[in-house]
Amino acid sequence: MGQWAGYLQLILEGAVVTIKLTLMGSALALVMAFLAGIGRLSRFAPVRWLATAYIEFFRGTSIFVQLFWAYFVLPLFGFTLTPLQAGVLALGLNVGAYAAEVVRGAIKSIGKEQYEACTALNFNRWQGLRHVILPQAFVLMLPTFGNNAIELLKASAVVSLISLSDMTFQAQVVRAQTGSTLFPFLTILILYFAIACVISFAIRGLERHLTRGLDGIRS
Amino acid sequence: MPPTNTAPIIEINGINKSFGAFKVLNDLSFSVAPREKLALIGPSGSGKTTILRILMTLEGIDSGEILVDGDSLYQMKRNGKLQPADDAHLHKMREKIGMVFQLFNLFPHKCVLDNVTLAPMLTKGVSRKDAEHHAMELLDMVGLADKAKSMPSQLSGGQKQRVAIARALALKPKIMLFDEVTSALDPELVEEVLNVLWKLCRETDMTMLLVTHEMGFAHDFADRVLFFDRGRIVEDGKPDEIFRHPKQERTQAFLKKIIAAGHRV
Repeated sequence: MGQWAGYLQLILEGAVVTIKLTLMGSALALVMAFLAGIGRLSRFAPVRWLATAYIEFFRGTSIFVQLFWAYFVLPLFGFTLTPLQAGVLALGLNVGAYAAEVVRGAIKSIGKEQYEACTALNFNRWQGLRHVILPQAFVLMLPTFGNNAIELLKASAVVSLISLSDMTFQAQVVRAQTGSTLFPFLTILILYFAIACVISFAIRGLERHLTRGLDGIRS
Repeated sequence: MPPTNTAPIIEINGINKSFGAFKVLNDLSFSVAPREKLALIGPSGSGKTTILRILMTLEGIDSGEILVDGDSLYQMKRNGKLQPADDAHLHKMREKIGMVFQLFNLFPHKCVLDNVTLAPMLTKGVSRKDAEHHAMELLDMVGLADKAKSMPSQLSGGQKQRVAIARALALKPKIMLFDEVTSALDPELVEEVLNVLWKLCRETDMTMLLVTHEMGFAHDFADRVLFFDRGRIVEDGKPDEIFRHPKQERTQAFLKKIIAAGHRV
């Protein structure tokens, strides 16, 4: 039994890396989602093109290839990243591209009458977006953001391929050392599920908090 | 309050507006004197709401000219030449105009007080303390001071509309546009909103344009009534002339229909 405790310790160390990746990747994804999602609604065509190019490119190529570019190809151009930095960059940019469409969709779903109220009250476009449209749209984005965060958590397993010792990487180490597949992979199955549950729970809590006293927004 | 003989605060000269193939406004011209209370009536689709939306810059015009307080609404002078208005010009012009909508358009994520204070704080740089002080006066005027911390979803339609009126007043516009502000309300809630309009009519210097189907109220409220049909003004006169002695056949037919529908004239 004693040896399993040591291996469990190893996997838990990997879990810390996975959680770190998920948090930092989600933070980057969130920033990219708002930049690209709002950018795609800009009245300046070059901004729209740039946002669209980003979204289509990162949705249309595999996370695996993106990660290898970040870690193995960028150094050829003089940008050397640590495995963690490369992982956060690839995961954040990839999931951010999906989430950007969530941001755009939610903004567009806010009724015309809210925009008209903003005009009648003489807000400029940014003020209307910041104080009226985004706070209402954010509530609509949350459930899908939860999906995106869970997707990111699961996609983070690819970083084991650039030798970052995340949960999946550690499970493979344990498997190689013990010959047991059941123990390490059952353990990480449960751990991935547990982390995903925490994300779901947190998003639902946030949603409840933000919708208090609201009506007519959630459709 | 009878309008005095000064320069008009709104001058509309030959404007045209189409939505696709449908011509909403057809070479329309009229002017409004400062402090005048104007009622715009007519069948739906006659263009009366579109006029308010154009004045609030929610819709553009296809041709013609609009002057508000002496300045062109949709054009500006730059290097001595007239050019389409930019954001800064529209921003300056909108300061003179406020609007209340049929469906209130309150901000559902903000409490009543924040709905009223947001615009003065953002667009005029008023401090929160001053904005809240003024907002409380306005909420008191519309009879909702005790609802300051409520969310819009907790209010009745009539209360929402009174908040919307306070919100528009917070920017101290010279001109207020009321677009069928009681049409979405249950009958028993109409009066509380009309009472507020009545108060504004008697106690303020604002120019007010009211699109309404409440003919009885329009009669008592307005200095002048415009009857619209198919994008044109068919009849323009004092409330008594329009409601008691309409000259035009179309006005007579419209009023007859309205009375048949149970409205008091």
